[in-house]
Parts: sequence; structure tokens; C-alpha cells
Amino acid sequence: MGGDNTENCISYKTMIMKNNDFFRELKEALEFEDVEFTEKTEFRKIDGYDSLHVMMIIAFVDSRFGKRLTARQLFNITDVRSLMELIGLENFEE
Amino acid sequence: MIIETFFPREKLTNSDLEKLFPDWSGAKIEEKVGIKERHIAEESETALDLAIKASNQALRNFDKTRIDFVLLCTQSPDYLLPTSACILQDKLGLRTNIGALDFNLGCSGFIYGLALAKSLIKTELATNVLLVTSETYSKHLHPDDRSNRSIFGDAAAATIVSSTDIENILEFDLGTDGQGMDNLIIMNGGMRNKLDPSETNWVDESGNARSNNHLFMNGPEIFNFTIEKVPLVVENVLKKNNTTLNEIDYVIFHQANKYILNYLRMKMQIPKEKFYINMVSTGNTVSSTIPIALKDCRDQNLIKEGDRVLIVGFGVGYSWGGTILRIA
Repeated sequence: MGGDNTENCISYKTMIMKNNDFFRELKEALEFEDVEFTEKTEFRKIDGYDSLHVMMIIAFVDSRFGKRLTARQLFNITDVRSLMELIGLENFEE
Repeated sequence: MIIETFFPREKLTNSDLEKLFPDWSGAKIEEKVGIKERHIAEESETALDLAIKASNQALRNFDKTRIDFVLLCTQSPDYLLPTSACILQDKLGLRTNIGALDFNLGCSGFIYGLALAKSLIKTELATNVLLVTSETYSKHLHPDDRSNRSIFGDAAAATIVSSTDIENILEFDLGTDGQGMDNLIIMNGGMRNKLDPSETNWVDESGNARSNNHLFMNGPEIFNFTIEKVPLVVENVLKKNNTTLNEIDYVIFHQANKYILNYLRMKMQIPKEKFYINMVSTGNTVSSTIPIALKDCRDQNLIKEGDRVLIVGFGVGYSWGGTILRIA
């Protein structure tokens, strides 16, 4: 199996990501069409944010950074900046 | 291998849940989790009742005097003792000179049941094993736990594994990690912590009511467990059977929820058309999702004679396992 007919195949990208690209991809991953993500966006203030979105963040970070975040770590994040710190600020640039 | 299933008559639809929880979106759940309705056992209907009905279906065209072992996988037994499998033997009118036992596993249960059935037959302790998976998680859920009520459904499956089947049940890979016990647990009701009627309820950050008398699932951590272990068990099963994903005709994972399955499929680069996702009208039926899927695939001709089907179960424990079936 595998190969050409695999849709949305996940490949880890280890290159440094621009902040704006991260905000855009995070927004797409969490499927919040009406929310503009910045460093200051607070997850728990987003209408409809729940444990399914925590799972979506785990999937997004696993697929884009090859990094596994625990539920406990994600329970402690507040805003997008705190998520970036968990992933490692060395993975981002302005 | 004969597989029959049974679902309770009562259904809990997304519309029903929307009425109970006005700020809950049935459409969102259907889209993300892939579930529209789930069957729910009546108050007086137990996992043993479902097991009897599924077994009777399976035994319609099979001489029940030939059954010489009963394996029943459930985490919802009628009594602490005796084991439900003994009662099942009597209710089905099976011979008394046979073995029967319950085993307590969740979503990995069918895989373990197949491994046990194959071993019993290979060691000539049995010739025809009745393997039953039956679960009524609905009885373990807090009435105001909308997350888990939207995921789990009740069902049973009865599989007859005969000596002629075992050459088509290939090598297994099994795994266990009790460090995950806290992430899917019913804290009270066993010998460690008795059921406590005065137990306080609390509401988690997603708005679900929780108590130690009811099932608790740390969804995000269970997701982490699956994305770590499922690719490994797939790799190990393929290795043990000297094969590759390319040579596998169809893949059936435990039907946990659509989001998890889609992510695993993409992570492992499994083509969509060879990957089973269907729990829209059943929900996650725990140990029965794989036999339900196998029966559905056969009924829909998604799998045919000679196909090699990779099956993987994973969940509470943690416990996981996989094998390959050659469809006869």
C-alpha cells in the first residue's frame, strides 16, 4: 500500500516555520474559520474549543513537527505563544 | 469463520443529544467523529442478553453440540461472579463438558479472543470456539457526559472459530502497558474503591459531567497512545508475517472514532479505498467494532475470498494487538 493514491499523506517538516504560516496552518488544523490566530489568541476563549481540539493540536504538532505533546502539557497552555514555547521557539521565525 | 452481530433496539441519535445538550452540535460530531446514532441497551438489558442474542444468530446454521469452548469478552458482566460465560453456556444450551471463561478487555478484546481461540485449537483443547464480544458501555457513562455518550454504542458479536479457520488466522503481535490505566478507567465499583453513592460530580473543561462512579476517558492522551502504538503494531504484524502493507488487501482498525482513524490512515499512508471507516449508525462498540466491520465488509463485498485483511485493536489497559486474516 501507500504511494500515489494516498490522500493527505503526512510528512514531517523539520524546517523552521514562519510565525504567520504557523498561525494559518493552526487555524486550518483546528477548523476555526472565523478566528484569526496570533500569538495572543487564547484557546479557551475560542467559542467551541474542547477536548477534540486538544486532539487536533496533538495531531497538528505530531504531523508538522514530529513532536508528541501530552494532554497534561496541553492542559497548561493558555495562548498560541505558550503552544509555540512547548513546540520550541527555535522552530519559528518572524 | 461465522460472524453474527446484535444491536439493542433502542437508539440514541445526534438529534436526541442536541435536545439534551442545547449547545452541542450533532452535525459537528457526525463530521468529526463519524457517528450519527448509536444503539443503547435498555435498563434491564445486559451485555449477557446481547451476547445470547448474537450467539443464537451465529448458531442458527451451526450444530451447537460441536461448540467446545466459550470465550466472552466483556467489561459489563451481569455479576462479579459467576462469570457471564458460564451463564451463557447454560442459556445457549451448550454441552457441559466444555470450557467457558470471561476475559476483561475493551477495544483490543476481539484480537485477544482470536489469539486465545487459535491457541486453544492448536493445543487441541478445543475444536470449535464460540468467541463473543459484548459491551454496554452506556451503563458506565454519566448521564451528563456528552462526549462519551456521543462516542460509545452498545452491541455484541459472536464469532465461531473452528479448527479449519486457524490456518487463516496468521501471526499476532500483542502489547500491554498498564501505565495507561488512568486514562480510561472506571475508578469505583471494584474492590480497590467501592461504588460511592455520595461521590461528587465535577465538570471538565469541555463541559462534561464526571464522577469516579462513571467511565472516565482522557481522549487526548488515548489519542497519543494510538498514534504511538498503532503504527508499531502494524509494523510488527507485517514483519511477523513476512509481508508488507502493499500486499494487504484491506485494513480494519478498531473503530474508535473517525478523526483518530483518518489521522492514523494518513500517518501510515494507507489508501482510503483499502481502509475501513464506518461507525455512523453504531458508534464505538468497544470490543465488537472489528467483528462488526468484518461482517459488514463481507456483506458489502468489500473483502472477498483470498484477501488478506489486517486487523488491529487498541484501547483500555492500555492493551493492543493485531493480526492478519486470510478470508476463506
